[in-house]
Amino acid sequence: MSEAVLSPAQLSARHLTRHFTTRVPGRFLTAKRVVRAVDDVSLDLFEGRVTAVVGESGSGKSVLARMLARIVTPTSGELVLEGSPIPVRSKRTLDYAAKVQLVLQDPYASINPVHRIRHSLERPLLIHGANKGEVETLAKAALSRVSLDPPERFVDRYPHELSGGQLQRVSIARALCVKPDVLLADEPISMLDVSVRLGILNLLRGLCDDERLAILYITHDIASARYIADETIVMYAGQIVERSRGTALVDEPTHPYTQLLISSVPDPSDPTSQDPQKREHATFEVANVGCRFAPRCPFAMDVCRTDDPPDFIVGEDHTSHCWLHASEPEAAVEVAPPKRRREGEPTKA
Amino acid sequence: MKVLRLPKSPKVLLGLGILGFFILMTIIGPWLAPYNPSATNFAANLTPSAHHWLGTTSLGQDIYSQLLVGARATMVVALLAGLVATILSVTIGVAAGYLGGLSDDGLSLLSNVFLAIPGLPLLIVIDSYLPVNSRSNTFVIGLIISLTGWAWGARVLRAQTMSLRNRDFVEAARIIGEKRHRIMFSEIAPNLLPVLASSFLFTVLYAIGAYVTLAYIGLTSTAVWNWGTMLYWAQANNAPLSNEWYWFVPPGICIALVGTGLALVNFGIDEFINPRLRAGGLTSRQRRKLGLPRRVRLGLTPVLRPAKAPRVSTAPAKLVSQ
Amino acid sequence: MSADTFDIQAVSPMREGPAERKGNAVANVERSEFVLEVNNFSVDYGVGENMVRAVNDVTLHLRRSKVLGVAGESGSGKSTLVYAMTRLLRAPGVISGGSVTLNFTSRDDEKEFTTLNLVTASEKELRKIRWSHVSIVLQSALSALNPVLRVGREFDEVLKTHRPDMSKAQRRARAVELLTMVGLNDDRLARYPHELSGGQRQRIMIALALALDPDLVIMDEPTTALDVVTQREIISELHDLRSRFGFALIFITHDLSLLVELADEIVVMYAGEIVERAGASELYEAPRHPYTLGLLNSFPPLHGPRRELSGIPGSPPDLSDLPAGCNFYPRCPFAMSRCENEAPALTAIENSDRSVACWLHSSDSSVPVPVELSRTVNPARNPVTTLKERP
Repeated sequence: MSEAVLSPAQLSARHLTRHFTTRVPGRFLTAKRVVRAVDDVSLDLFEGRVTAVVGESGSGKSVLARMLARIVTPTSGELVLEGSPIPVRSKRTLDYAAKVQLVLQDPYASINPVHRIRHSLERPLLIHGANKGEVETLAKAALSRVSLDPPERFVDRYPHELSGGQLQRVSIARALCVKPDVLLADEPISMLDVSVRLGILNLLRGLCDDERLAILYITHDIASARYIADETIVMYAGQIVERSRGTALVDEPTHPYTQLLISSVPDPSDPTSQDPQKREHATFEVANVGCRFAPRCPFAMDVCRTDDPPDFIVGEDHTSHCWLHASEPEAAVEVAPPKRRREGEPTKA
Repeated sequence: MKVLRLPKSPKVLLGLGILGFFILMTIIGPWLAPYNPSATNFAANLTPSAHHWLGTTSLGQDIYSQLLVGARATMVVALLAGLVATILSVTIGVAAGYLGGLSDDGLSLLSNVFLAIPGLPLLIVIDSYLPVNSRSNTFVIGLIISLTGWAWGARVLRAQTMSLRNRDFVEAARIIGEKRHRIMFSEIAPNLLPVLASSFLFTVLYAIGAYVTLAYIGLTSTAVWNWGTMLYWAQANNAPLSNEWYWFVPPGICIALVGTGLALVNFGIDEFINPRLRAGGLTSRQRRKLGLPRRVRLGLTPVLRPAKAPRVSTAPAKLVSQ
Repeated sequence: MSADTFDIQAVSPMREGPAERKGNAVANVERSEFVLEVNNFSVDYGVGENMVRAVNDVTLHLRRSKVLGVAGESGSGKSTLVYAMTRLLRAPGVISGGSVTLNFTSRDDEKEFTTLNLVTASEKELRKIRWSHVSIVLQSALSALNPVLRVGREFDEVLKTHRPDMSKAQRRARAVELLTMVGLNDDRLARYPHELSGGQRQRIMIALALALDPDLVIMDEPTTALDVVTQREIISELHDLRSRFGFALIFITHDLSLLVELADEIVVMYAGEIVERAGASELYEAPRHPYTLGLLNSFPPLHGPRRELSGIPGSPPDLSDLPAGCNFYPRCPFAMSRCENEAPALTAIENSDRSVACWLHSSDSSVPVPVELSRTVNPARNPVTTLKERP
């Protein structure tokens, strides 16, 4: 797949930023602290492509998805839907809901327990202009699309009668009922049993390949991102730290955080991952000045503590938000090896 | 939550039985009454007899007929007030809890004001402003009582709604573009059903108390028979002093029984909401039969010892005998 | 065996147990090589018509200082098994058969080794062994720690209850020592649980579990709620602690690849039964049960070409409506007609230290074992099964 065949992005985020203000208690005059949940994130979602956003809790990935779905208002930045900019401070319209849908993480909680499955599918259909007469057929068709066959067995069930995997399929079917162009999936498999996770991933991949949906797949599991995504983005503390097309990011991570993330995944096929060597206890401090990862970074340099790095190009369609990849002579150090390495500092030039 | 399966607990069945009895009495009581409750054509102060099961008043009215006829007004006012108050509390509570912000502040202020004003004095004040002829109207009285009885339920429902508001299924409804009122009343409210039912029962209980009190202190029309007016007349004629227990005890017992019935049904709702109260899925008879301890103790999982001999020791024995 | 006369005492030679134990069970001075022996253990939820069997006839033995991994999905009975084993399972759970024998070192005299059948033990006996000899770490550390107590108080309470002879200063010193052990600074003792991160709370739970130097520690999905980097840190911490203190560990998780790294031996549970038991690397490299194979194939790999994986078709089992034969039959790609009606028992595989509950491996099976299930342990690690290359 080359860039040339891609049509313009279905949905683009430009410099999307969301700050939350929290009060620091315990003082007479409560001091306010700004938490930069998402900071200057830009990304494009194309039809027929899965973009994965990988990050741990607190990386801002869920807030990002909610901003894209416009149920969280960005502090600044803009959204572009099919080429036309959306005023982000305006009210979310039904039109937008018809184009961009979000699938939530917990299938057990995201379907109303008191209503039959039928209700969850017919409501989006009715809201988005289906006739009363055709909703039944359309609802069943939606269930078939997510491989809940035969649909008659499921429409009149209550949510508690279905398993987690089936509920997540219902949740996806509900999103599909409004015929969206963009499907945002916020950790759709993390609450599911291991054996049914691949089924959901394959379903998403299929929707993308066969129905040309633009899909944003949000996850903390970098292996699943590698499995499904055409483009992978790693977020840390609200920022994009590394992004690449294909599997380059996982196969040859260049950002120290991505390297840490990948080396932490239990991977029995990699003998080095079982090293008994004790890892240093990570701090969770996020720097306010300079690179946000600097306090945890084994390769941190002076420049990292003072200046936030720009995105350096490290390969074809592959950027890294890290000073190690600066080409300026004053920052010239031997780049953190693109191979997976955990211990030891890079040798200084 | 598919079918509200009928609870098996004897408490709840008893409660339902009592309530059923009084609702039946509400419907057919006036026809069952042997005499006109207001007619004064009997001898005064008769003690209970075959003709007058509960004797007669000092005006010569049949007390048994008064009790049967009085059930209707009492129950109608109580159920009506319960219903209207519950509707008010759902609307205000769910709206306050879901909308948040200024709407919440305003609606919460309103319900707090109603909570803070003592209900009965307010009731008396409102009631004394009513034209005398509407005091005989049970519907007007029911509405007035509901006005003073909704605030507590609204607060409980507001708190419950606030905990549901951030649940994923509500967010999912918002994502598909559902309208606000539909989210509140079609998505959230059905989840509040157990709380709602419980709040309804308590409001009914409150309404009976309030209505009987109003009647007892003579603020409702004496032309309408209810259990409160019976007590009013009994008090006015010094029945307790002259030992005419059959005049004031029966309506008192009826009021107490309705209250007990409501409370017993509420136990069932509690068990429905809180599965832990279901005594671990085992009835006490089952537990006894299995030789398990009666009470469920934390940190001591019961061990089932089947009546038949343990399999480990019998197996070799069988082999030998073969 | 009489249920009511039993108390903490020397091993009774009459007790049921695995064959290899019978010899050394005579005297109480000799130490059993197993810290925990579970025999034919079954657990039900409810009784009568609505009874659901959550754990069915489970037998497993755990050697001292070893790590046993219990893998399974929701409804597999893995958590029920360990909660019932320690008699901590809540109503309506009922133990419906079997025995659980704990062999532990008595505190009063280091020479004395005692055993206790947890199934017949009284509340008093259980109270005596819990925490001192068996401790548990739960998934959610936040709900396990009392939110209104500072962390230091939790340590103090535990030590005060079980070690009444310790002075206040000694208790404090021990708490500091324990925190250092799990890689936390001792200033955490003055904190409230909500002031700590999820990983720090879980470390505190681990430190608390180790406070009394137990023989056996049970961990129920202790890292599931944590980020992968934190999980990695805690796992290596556990490695370290176990080699230092030699406690046996039962680690429950749905993440089979995590277990392969951590455990010595793994049992895989499905629908309340153990379907496969093997050493960790044997299980990973040469699974024998189709379910184990399916589970291993459910984790997308981090290297190698991208291929489409299929996971396991169908839904997790419904315990109230299990099939007549093998529980895995409806989802099994290798199902035979025999599997539909006859349930296979967990049987040892010849010439190996592992067992599997599958007709494919039974000695009278006429069907050749599929190639995926007959791999040998190969030092050149193969990537998991190839299905089809994604275009």
